[in-house]
Amino acid sequence: MDNVVNNCMNLHLLNRSPFSSRVYEDVLNAMGSEDQLLLIEDGVNGALSSAGHYLAGLEGRLFALREDLESRGLSGRCSESVIVVDVDGFVALTEAADKTISWF
Amino acid sequence: MGIVSPGESLAPGELLVILRHAPHGSSWLREGLEAAMVAAAFGREVGLLFTGEGVLALLEGQQAGALGQKGSDNLLAALEMYDVERCYVDAAALERRGLSENDVSLLPVTVLAHADVVALTQCFSRVLSF
Repeated sequence: MDNVVNNCMNLHLLNRSPFSSRVYEDVLNAMGSEDQLLLIEDGVNGALSSAGHYLAGLEGRLFALREDLESRGLSGRCSESVIVVDVDGFVALTEAADKTISWF
Repeated sequence: MGIVSPGESLAPGELLVILRHAPHGSSWLREGLEAAMVAAAFGREVGLLFTGEGVLALLEGQQAGALGQKGSDNLLAALEMYDVERCYVDAAALERRGLSENDVSLLPVTVLAHADVVALTQCFSRVLSF
């Protein structure tokens, strides 16, 4: 490939709760300094205020999917540092990123 | 086997397959290796990253399960035939399991420090996670 950008931005998708799975450690290990993380499905448990220590250091780059928060009754319980997006926001994040990488 | 410094020997590639599951416990590892070989068979330049439990795939002495279930070692042995030669292993995942690069002898692999794992995901134009 001849159009590689070394400082490209990847979007990481995590669908496992950090309370029950350590996959989040692998995500953090693979995230560049500009990369973004979107929490989906059970991953949105990581958006709880009480989960802040798991995903520290991602201010402005940590997102959670509104639909999955709402279906779990967690909308009002999110950490302030988490940016909530709906499915259209999910699409926009995908468009803005060079690649998406799923973690499960 | 060796350790690369950032930017060195991390040439651009077309498909990075991330392997994060151990042999035998699920079919994720075999499926990831098969996906890599299919892509390579179609002429894509493929890289493999063993991380998380996936580093266990590289241990010698694996065998079939008690009921004859296949492991993944036979697939690893076939990688060279498909010209899949860029194999990397995450140093942090090894260390967490008490392993060193001397333990991962099933394939010639490059041990990557954290910054290089990130760089690897950036220099491949596509990534599949298994």
